[in-house]
Amino acid sequence: MNSIADLGGMDGLGPINPEKGEPVFHAEWERRTMGLTLLAIMQGHFNVDQIRHAIERMDPVEYLGSEYYSHWLHGTEELLIQNGVVTRAELEAKRAVLAGES
Amino acid sequence: MAKHDHGHDHTAPPSDEALRVKALESLLAEKGLIDTQAVDEIIEQYETKIGPRNGAKVIARAWVDPDFKRRLLENASEAMKELGVSGLESEDMVVLENTPQIHNLVVCTLCSCYPWAVLGLPPNWYKSPPYRARAVRDPRSVLAEFGTELGDDVEVRVWDSNAEIRYLVLPERPEGTEDMDEAALAELVTRDSMIGVARAQTPGRGAER
Amino acid sequence: MSDLVRKEMIEPILSTGASSRADADVAARFKAGDAVIARNLNPHGHTRLPRYVRGRRGTVERDHGVFVFPDTLVAGAGTKPQHVYSVRFSARELWGPDSPEKDALYIDMFDDYLDPA
Repeated sequence: MNSIADLGGMDGLGPINPEKGEPVFHAEWERRTMGLTLLAIMQGHFNVDQIRHAIERMDPVEYLGSEYYSHWLHGTEELLIQNGVVTRAELEAKRAVLAGES
Repeated sequence: MAKHDHGHDHTAPPSDEALRVKALESLLAEKGLIDTQAVDEIIEQYETKIGPRNGAKVIARAWVDPDFKRRLLENASEAMKELGVSGLESEDMVVLENTPQIHNLVVCTLCSCYPWAVLGLPPNWYKSPPYRARAVRDPRSVLAEFGTELGDDVEVRVWDSNAEIRYLVLPERPEGTEDMDEAALAELVTRDSMIGVARAQTPGRGAER
Repeated sequence: MSDLVRKEMIEPILSTGASSRADADVAARFKAGDAVIARNLNPHGHTRLPRYVRGRRGTVERDHGVFVFPDTLVAGAGTKPQHVYSVRFSARELWGPDSPEKDALYIDMFDDYLDPA
């Protein structure tokens, strides 16, 4: 698809600003997201091409405005819901419980 | 769920990532669908074990051993296995040799494809829109941001890793390294030099990355 | 669905990987040196043909061999194994006369993305 991910040649995105001495992960949620996504792929819930496409389908503003691993989290959630492994309602309920506990 | 359809998906606000992944992981664990220790192990592998020192080892060997270098340029995946370097996202490798006339630079415009088994997980800048958009369009301005200047007589080749072949730059061996052994040479090979945004370190400078 | 992957299985899985190469005897439509044009495909589904090369003229530099085709794989329409070529496009061909004359872009093109020039 002619998605927001097809960025080659686009102007106006600003400087690259590489971070010196960048750690592999910037937050615990990035670690868990990376590990969970890879495990889901290893266990055959979806493949790399499918998650790439799920990410391509993100809201363009959200895609550009979010952290990289947020894309993976979006893709993994959507594909697991699509495949019936979890439901959106179950996820929202679990989030509410966890939010209440913190 | 959004009632309109304008061709993309909506989710919860991005700032909730920590809550979202915690909810997802606990739910999957409760349902007996995942072993969280396996998630821990994946993290441990990429955070502490798999990284650019793998690639540096390969480059240093290529610098000292012309036959290895020839094998590396002919069939990179097989040659790297000689040094125990292989694996996920590096199954089909091509090595690109930098010369005084040719400078190679690697990008994935469509997402973030990168030779994980050789370089570890990519840095944020590699995966972010500015690099992905501009590396193919104006590589010299990208190189300049990394402090790398090239003459007009140099040919810049940008490689977009859009399929499943993964690319590794073989940077030029720095001057003044003739007496260095392989281990010392590997220290000069930075991750950025194997992506192509920088040259390898010259001896005497502090290692950066 | 497969069984649970356990902690001790992770390192072997990571070091083996999962190549997308296909062991299929498929004819190549192109070879190194051929002049090609990237097709102007604009599918609404998944593709690995970016907009910036569509319709552009390039040269096949090498044949990487046969791989599964992501475009059909994601659509549930099969692996459609085919040759993938490294194709060179000059910077000026892609971006116009202001680009450096010597510079070039190399991109991996599935057989289905190309026409002979």
